[in-house]
Amino acid sequence: MRSKISAVVLGLLLVAALSWSAEAGAPAKVVIGHPVCLSGKFAKEGSQASWGIKACIKWINEVHGGVKIAGKRVPLEYKFYDSESKKEVVTSLIERLVRIDKVHGIIAPYSSGLTITGAPVAERYRAIYMSHGGASNRIFQQGYRYAVQILSPATLYQAGTLDMLHKVDPGARRIALAFEDGEFARMVMRGAEEHAKGLGYKIVFKRTYPKKVTDLTPLLSDLRAAKPDIILGGGHFQDGQLFARQMADLDINVKALSLIVAVTLPAFYDALGAKAEGLIGPAQWEFGVKYNPAEAKKLGLEWFGPTNEEFVKLAMEFSGGKRPDYHAAEAGAAPLVFVKAVEEAGSLDPDKIREAFGKLHLMTFFGEFKIDPDTGLQVGHSMVVVQWQGGKKVIVWPPAAATGKLYYPMPTFAEKAKGKKAIPK
Amino acid sequence: MTWEQLGGNLIQGLILGGVYGMATMGLSLIFGVLRVVNVGHGAFVMVGAFVAFWLFTALGLTPIAAIPAALVVGMALGFLFFYSVMRRLVGAPELTSLLATFAMGIILEEVVKLIFGTEFRGYNWDVGKMDLSVTVLPLAKLYAFIGSVAIAALLYFWFNRTRAGTAVRSVVEDSEGARVCGVNVGWVYALSFALGIGLTVTSGVLLTMFIPVGINPYMGGVYTLKAFVIAVLGGLASPYGAFFAGVIFGLIENGSYSLFALVPGLEPFAMTRFLSFAILLLILLIRPTGLLGTK
Repeated sequence: MRSKISAVVLGLLLVAALSWSAEAGAPAKVVIGHPVCLSGKFAKEGSQASWGIKACIKWINEVHGGVKIAGKRVPLEYKFYDSESKKEVVTSLIERLVRIDKVHGIIAPYSSGLTITGAPVAERYRAIYMSHGGASNRIFQQGYRYAVQILSPATLYQAGTLDMLHKVDPGARRIALAFEDGEFARMVMRGAEEHAKGLGYKIVFKRTYPKKVTDLTPLLSDLRAAKPDIILGGGHFQDGQLFARQMADLDINVKALSLIVAVTLPAFYDALGAKAEGLIGPAQWEFGVKYNPAEAKKLGLEWFGPTNEEFVKLAMEFSGGKRPDYHAAEAGAAPLVFVKAVEEAGSLDPDKIREAFGKLHLMTFFGEFKIDPDTGLQVGHSMVVVQWQGGKKVIVWPPAAATGKLYYPMPTFAEKAKGKKAIPK
Repeated sequence: MTWEQLGGNLIQGLILGGVYGMATMGLSLIFGVLRVVNVGHGAFVMVGAFVAFWLFTALGLTPIAAIPAALVVGMALGFLFFYSVMRRLVGAPELTSLLATFAMGIILEEVVKLIFGTEFRGYNWDVGKMDLSVTVLPLAKLYAFIGSVAIAALLYFWFNRTRAGTAVRSVVEDSEGARVCGVNVGWVYALSFALGIGLTVTSGVLLTMFIPVGINPYMGGVYTLKAFVIAVLGGLASPYGAFFAGVIFGLIENGSYSLFALVPGLEPFAMTRFLSFAILLLILLIRPTGLLGTK
């Protein structure tokens, strides 16, 4: 009897020892979790994000050969649930991903508001928390240890636009700021205001409008009275469409109109048609940006991941043929840098991965990646400015990334109605 | 602020308010007859917006042509949901019908999402503008307002001058009494529900004439909230009250914006919401049944 008990105990110990070694050595797989917005307010952005992530995970597993850890290559798995774009769902899903699904890292949901909601939960469980659509600087001012930003912070969104306009027309000095009253857009407005003042611009109008706004007429009527040369505004997609449309309805003409988020998406031109001609907007990424292995080599950086063309092709396998936009790109960059950090750390210990993140400085198809090692704020990535010209998006800033010249000043809405296009001569 | 800005905003508010009023009439009609609060209201507005969008982009039909089409689609949906779900819930506890209408809204959103995806869509129906010196008014907005007033007037005529309308009014007054007098109460319930949904879907077309962008499966939520405020303001069971309350709501929203903008440090949009709800509370304190509601 005693020998039987000893055999069972020995067997159990052996199993425990084997599982321990598996845990301490190479795991069977690496899992990243994602409370993705597949329905609700951010369904569009969330769908794009999921295509980008799936594309890059496919590249990691099929081209890179999996995640290299403890001398082995193991597959990367993507575990996601629909967060319905709701804060309360995000927090419970992060708990589920960590406690039940045992994920090794989390990709935050879209938007600054949802990202900042989920951050304390991820922090409580010491889970690496990658923000691909949370641009607000405030997320990284809370002292979170495990939060890492993939995209450029909100305060830099309009910096390139202002630099470009200042160079093109130093005489246009009157600026109006009209942004959505949300975490992200407020931060963009703050950054834009500081940068504009630094360049000597005069802020002649500064207001916010609520989320889910359905009529901007009163705000735009007041804005017209301020007689600005340049308008910087927006928040997300729906209000950006509304902003441009009602500017056209009220026949408000300025030299330049830059709207965040909305302008960069093809659906913006689909919905507005010629009214979108000449509108500009900052983008985290755009197809055609000159991030490639040669550029990385020139800068002395390591290149990792698919090229732009490869990324688009892979993403379209998951999107049903739809072209990915920058939401897909910024989300797709998250698993790439996560894998790189895990490989550099040689471990799945979140502290070691976070430490490795702090040392990473590389280039992917999305651009440079480098964070502030203490706060996790993105400091390496640069944004581009795009303009709608003849129904096509053209990168007009910075000069190093530009694929065309800026059309300035923007045609009036009356000229656009007569068929004038914003195509430079 | 100048008087021109205030005048311009009030004109825009009047136009928008008329459309808001029209968008609320269906909600009030359904509540008046069936005592059911349609919390899926916004989803039906969204269906109307997609009817206008699809007819314009796929078939080249103008939003004016989409109005009768939306009424037909809305009434068909109304009959479908009534005979499949609501018929069993007439007289059931409020929470049951509340959940049922909530579920209808979600079903519609997800079906539309399956068909059209999650993109925010829009269309360009440019039929010119009127320069009123204090503001510029696109004619499409004016047509939306005229359409709203015309539909409200037609509904008034139907209620007061037709046999079917009289039957509906009798059920609103006393359903048991109407039954005793030979009114087919079940049919009145079905017709009222279908007409209420038809009006709501039609209002979606009119709203896109005012705001032809942002058409998305989840666009309706914001209109549900506005419709509730307007319906309560006008008297929850009174479709005409809802129409007039919509106009008042639009005037308050746009007019007060200009006034609040005069106060330094205030965000006018936030204050217009505050004022709308404050006026709602005030009216309810004075007239708990709303402006045109009856006990």
